[in-house]
Amino acid sequence: MTQKKKDNLTKVMDYLKHEDPFSKGVAFCPGCGLELLIRFIPQVLGNDIVITGTPSCSAPVLLGQNNQTWHKLSYFGTLMTGAAANATGLARYYRKAGIENTVVCFNGDGTAADIGFGNLSGAAERNEPFIYICYDNEGYMNTGIQKSGTTPFGATTTTTPLGSASKGKNLRRMNLALKMAMHKIPYAATATLSDLDDLAKKLLKAKEAKKRGFAFLHVFAPCTTGWGFAPENTIEVCRRAVKTNYFPLWEAVNGKIRMTKTVKKPKPVTTYTELIKKFAHLSEEDLQILQDDVDYEYCMLGGLSVLEGECQLPVSSED
Amino acid sequence: MITKAQKKSQIKVITGNAAAAIAAKLARPDVVAAYPITPQTEIIEQISQFHANGEMDCELITVEGENSAMNAVMAASIAGGRVFTATSSWGLVFMYDAILAAAGARAPVVMVNVNRETPGIIAVSSGQQDMISTRDAGWIFLIAEDCQEVLDLVLQAYRLAEDYDIQVPVMVHYDGFYLSYLSEGVNVPFQEDVDKFLSVLKTQPERTKLVPGGKLGCGSHGILLGYLELRHKHMSAMERAKAKFERIDKEYEEIFGRSYGGLVEEYRMDDADAVLVGSGSMCGTIKAVIDEKRAAGVKIGLLKLRMYRPFPSEAMIKALKGKKAIGVVDRSLCFGFKGGPIYTELKAFETQLGGSKMISFIDGIANTDITKINVATMIDMTCDLAAGKDVREVTWVSYPEAQEEGGL
Repeated sequence: MTQKKKDNLTKVMDYLKHEDPFSKGVAFCPGCGLELLIRFIPQVLGNDIVITGTPSCSAPVLLGQNNQTWHKLSYFGTLMTGAAANATGLARYYRKAGIENTVVCFNGDGTAADIGFGNLSGAAERNEPFIYICYDNEGYMNTGIQKSGTTPFGATTTTTPLGSASKGKNLRRMNLALKMAMHKIPYAATATLSDLDDLAKKLLKAKEAKKRGFAFLHVFAPCTTGWGFAPENTIEVCRRAVKTNYFPLWEAVNGKIRMTKTVKKPKPVTTYTELIKKFAHLSEEDLQILQDDVDYEYCMLGGLSVLEGECQLPVSSED
Repeated sequence: MITKAQKKSQIKVITGNAAAAIAAKLARPDVVAAYPITPQTEIIEQISQFHANGEMDCELITVEGENSAMNAVMAASIAGGRVFTATSSWGLVFMYDAILAAAGARAPVVMVNVNRETPGIIAVSSGQQDMISTRDAGWIFLIAEDCQEVLDLVLQAYRLAEDYDIQVPVMVHYDGFYLSYLSEGVNVPFQEDVDKFLSVLKTQPERTKLVPGGKLGCGSHGILLGYLELRHKHMSAMERAKAKFERIDKEYEEIFGRSYGGLVEEYRMDDADAVLVGSGSMCGTIKAVIDEKRAAGVKIGLLKLRMYRPFPSEAMIKALKGKKAIGVVDRSLCFGFKGGPIYTELKAFETQLGGSKMISFIDGIANTDITKINVATMIDMTCDLAAGKDVREVTWVSYPEAQEEGGL
């Protein structure tokens, strides 16, 4: 039994085939979801990946300062406006020169969903051969917790503060991952840190899919400092986001959507929000709006996956 | 009679844009990023056709905007590739952040910018204001006078940008509409000669490249002394580019039989008392009027700027020193200053010119023709200045109302 489990790589540790290229002590906040993610990726995909990234929470660690750095990876620190275009340039040149490569374009939600969405969408439309990973901490955390397109309804940030005329963000969050799946790219998926085996599988699938073109991963990475929860609760926040369907786990191969984890009895969204200070001011009525939005998104996702099954989309041989 | 130049090439009647596209093809870039904008579009159309015909073995990225074009070629260049892109006007300013980043990263990108206005008044017309908006980005700027020089400068730009001692991106400018759509006879060199001209780069040490497993960080967070070191090295490379470009011009002549004199081209300057300083397509008209004025005994010459960044101050001072009067013709504005940008910059070297008096002409913006009559006016005013007469400092040649409105 044990042997069989190992063969199937069912334990998270078994996916970690490569060394952790990061220094043991780095400049992330205690309990940072991003740190776990960025250490995890090269241990699964290999240390020969080329990472591109932008000014963000990941920047101080990934960029290094002057000639000093916290990791041993090839890295290109670049502009938020053109992150996907930079990765495109690298991947295309490597292809032209016959250089084996895995380019990982690693950005926060500010770059992916807001300022850099145009070129992310463009790269997906052109089916560029690289992996784009968005770590979503629902705002501009590095610049001091400002609202982004993925900040959820009701959340307080420094640009959606509480006041006599405001009770946090008065708009819903955009569904970045679904938008990317609609590009019908070889691979799109959501993942989070409470389900690392799922994340590892999806990373490996993305690496495989990139041989056919664009691969996109949307990783839910909570921010203890910006959201206001205890550092030891990062994984619990992720777990509850999944169990409430606040952040469902799914994948789309060539646009064909499939849930990778189905929650049989989803908990109310309050099970998730109660851990987090940025939602603490919300009334029952406000929380119902958030719940309705979560239900809407999940219904749409479920509908799309059923629809795609019923419509019998043409399936490519790689599925 | 077959000249040396003709033996080295075939003559084709093509537009400035076609000359740029053919030059790009001859340089064999690895990655080309393309996005359309008037009056540049023909370049990327032609490159796309070369690619479709299998004549151009490059990765062609048809990006969703100019910002991505510059970001893609910058990254491909940092990875080790030879790259090309082209733009104009709004496209140039839409890629502005990436233009700054490419320079700071010392990515040897070669880009053609077909000059066009960039005001709030949507002027689909020629003018060098787009060039001025990016002049302090840290790129090397070259300016072509005619379609032949467009082709020659693009090829020379690769030698300059990718030179191990330089490694600074180069932008080749030429006037939109006047050159982009103008067809004239162009000596198109043979591929083997271009390969020979560019092969010098292969004999140099390899530049630092971002490759998988290479453990190299690019674009690190440089602050304090790390930043100063890199900025100073960049400035030094810009200075070195001047002498390097003159050598490249000579080597180009040896292979292709054409030389322009390097950083600046001097036309009938030897015994001139008065000189016009210009750049781009206006220089052809200025040369024609100078010939007529010379026939009438007027001692006038032209100093044509081929390189605008770095500013070739030494070459300009050497050529202009001792001249009685200098009239600088700008096809753009320098807001906050009365005179045009090139005039304002040359003014900084006034004390080293040995007492030359200087005036500024602003003309040719938004497709107003710099006609022979306009050039004659500029020559007359500069000659008046040389003769000791009192002449207005700044003249908007095609807009006499400017002088009446006052202020300038």
